Amino acid sequence: MAFLDDSLEVTSRRHGNVTVIDIKGDVTTFADAKITEAYNAATDAGAQKLVLNFHHSNYINSAGIAILIRIVTSCGRHGQKLAMSGLNEHFQKIFRMVGLSQYADIHETEEQAVAALSSS
Amino acid sequence: MRRPWSSKRARTSEQPIELRLPSRLGYEKVAMDTAAVIAERMGFDQERIAGLRTAVSEAVTNAIEHGNNGLRNAEVHVVMTIHGDTLTVCVRDQNYHQFDRSYGIQRPDLQRALRGEDVGWGMWLIRQFVDEVEFTGAPNGGNEVRMVLRA
Repeated sequence: MAFLDDSLEVTSRRHGNVTVIDIKGDVTTFADAKITEAYNAATDAGAQKLVLNFHHSNYINSAGIAILIRIVTSCGRHGQKLAMSGLNEHFQKIFRMVGLSQYADIHETEEQAVAALSSS
Repeated sequence: MRRPWSSKRARTSEQPIELRLPSRLGYEKVAMDTAAVIAERMGFDQERIAGLRTAVSEAVTNAIEHGNNGLRNAEVHVVMTIHGDTLTVCVRDQNYHQFDRSYGIQRPDLQRALRGEDVGWGMWLIRQFVDEVEFTGAPNGGNEVRMVLRA
């Protein structure tokens, strides 16, 4: 049904040597292809520092967490630095509970994440 | 704390609120939004409501994907009951594929997940965000996840 259609938009931008991947919409099993595609495109373009920006996402479920764990694994394999931004308090808490925060610094805003990665 | 349903009669009601959802991913959002509205009206704070949203979402998703084994003509039955300051949410499937009721007691191993193994976080997340959870059989013979949130 139209009102439940998954409308996820994933786009990438560059801020100096940092690639910001904006995720707008629900991070569920339906998000896998778009997020993975954006990450792979950034990696193929040589990105070494990435921010996943969730400023416009209000719903992340366990399938979405599994997608992000795969991104963390890929970043480790490629020697990339990863940060996350724009998460509300609830999802920051979940990411800490799951342990994702050990592998990707979590920042309140995109600007903070970009600044932290730029200087690292 | 907001108490729009503060009359004694309303807050001690056991009249259930029931949803019958198509067993298709996406409909879990109807259940989680409904549960959130009820919890907000009962006066639960935003942190607990956010946790309830996650718990209900994961329970319904689990019913769709595993309990009903992805069969699109099946349904998920959600029953929400207010009793005093307690909200109980029961999520029932049609038991086409019975899931492990002890699942989620142990925290999933992130290291295994990072190695590419499918560890599944849903049941564990449910247990983190409600005061009580029970995995039992539903009256129709399916699985039931019963979640309790107390003020």
